[in-house]
Amino acid sequence: MKKQLVISTSIDLVRIAPDRVVYFASDGNYSTIVQTDGEVRMVSYQLGQIEKLIGSQLGSEGAIFIRIGKSLIINRSYIYYINVPKQKLILSDVNTFNHTVTASKEALKQLKELLEKEAK
Amino acid sequence: MKEFKDIKDDQIRIIGEDNSGKSPFRRFWIILLSVCVLLLVGGSILFAVLNREKASETEPEPAYFEPETTSEPIVCEWLGSRVDSLAKGFTEIRDTLINDIPLRIYIPHNAEMSLYVGRMDIRDTSVVYAAQAADVRADNGGIVGAFVLKGTPRSWGLSKKGFCASIDGVVTVGVAENSPLFEEATEKEGYFFRQYPLVDNGQLVENAPKGKSIRRGICDRQGEIFMVETGTPESFHDFAQALVDLGVDQAIYLVGSSAYGWAIDQAGTRHEFGDNNYYTGRRRMPKNTSYIVWRRK
Repeated sequence: MKKQLVISTSIDLVRIAPDRVVYFASDGNYSTIVQTDGEVRMVSYQLGQIEKLIGSQLGSEGAIFIRIGKSLIINRSYIYYINVPKQKLILSDVNTFNHTVTASKEALKQLKELLEKEAK
Repeated sequence: MKEFKDIKDDQIRIIGEDNSGKSPFRRFWIILLSVCVLLLVGGSILFAVLNREKASETEPEPAYFEPETTSEPIVCEWLGSRVDSLAKGFTEIRDTLINDIPLRIYIPHNAEMSLYVGRMDIRDTSVVYAAQAADVRADNGGIVGAFVLKGTPRSWGLSKKGFCASIDGVVTVGVAENSPLFEEATEKEGYFFRQYPLVDNGQLVENAPKGKSIRRGICDRQGEIFMVETGTPESFHDFAQALVDLGVDQAIYLVGSSAYGWAIDQAGTRHEFGDNNYYTGRRRMPKNTSYIVWRRK
C-alpha cells in the first residue's frame, strides 16, 4: 500500500497521499497544504515540522518533496515551469491546476540545475 | 524523528533523501572497513595474549612486595631571597604586577610573628613589620571574631572563616569554621585571630563586601609566609584572584584601606603605609586595634 502522510494535532488529523499535495507553504507558526483538488488546508505545524514528518513517515518516498528556502516544500512531480530572473515557479499537472509561487533566484537556479542533472 | 538542519532562503533540500547514501558502494565499503577493523583489533589482542604467555614462561614470578616508590622532593620556589639565618631580621619588599594589579609583597626574614593590641610603639626597633590584624566592632569597640593574645583569649566567636595563628614560632594561615589552633594558642601562649578568607587551598573564596579599597592580606605560599598589599583600590574578588594567580595556597585578609603599618627593609629604612592617624591625634583609634607584628628573632 502506498504510504500516506499523516498530519495529526490534538483535535484533528489530515491523512493524504503524497502525490495529492502540490506544495506546503509556511504561514508563521502554521503551514498551508495546497492539494491537487484545489483545496487549501491549514495545519498547526511549522514548515520545519512538516519536513520532519515527511522524512520520518515517508522515508525515501519523501524525496518527491523538495524544501525550497524557508517557506516552501514543493512536490517535484508538479514542477512545470521555472523562471530564475523572474523568481517564478509554476506547479501544475497541466490539466486541472496551476499554482504560481515565488522563491529566491539562487534557490530556483539550484532547482533548475537539479532537474537538468536528473534529466541526463 | 530525523533532525533537519536549518535552511536558508537561497537553498533547496530534497526531503527524505539519505545524502550520505548516494554511492551504491558505500555500504560495501563500510562493511569491508568494519571487517578490517575487527581483524586488526582481534589480531592485536591475540598478539598481546601470546606475548604475555611467552613472557610468563621466561620471566620469574613477581615478588610479593609492593614496589618501592621514591618520592620526588618538592621544589620550593619561594618569592623571598635566601637569607643567612644569623643575619639581622628585616622585611624584604618586592613589587610585582598581577592582572594589572600592582602588588607589594612584604616577606619577613629572621623574624617571628605575634599579635599586639593597642597603640604600637613606632620606635620599637625590634619590629620589622606591623599591620592591623583583626577588625574592630563599630558598636562596642570589641575585636571581631576569636582572638588570642599570648595565650589569653580576648575575643570569642566565629564571624569570619579565615584564621591566622602563630604558635611556637609557626605561623598558620587557613580557612575553617572551627580550628583547634584557637585552643592550642591558649595552651601554648600563642596568637590567633580571624579575618575574611581570601584563598583556601589555592581556590578563591568569595566575600560579601563588594567595594574597592587598598587591600592587604597575609598569605601562605608553599610554606612561605608573607603579607601582600595592593597599590590600587581593588575588590575582594580581584585581590583574591591576584593572590591565586600569585600561587598562594592560603590567604586571609588584613585590615586594608588607610589602616596604618610599616615595614623595615634590609637597609633599615622604614616603609610606612596607610594613615598614621593614631599618632597625629586627628582621630582616636579604638583601644582594641590589633596588629600582626613581626619582630626580629
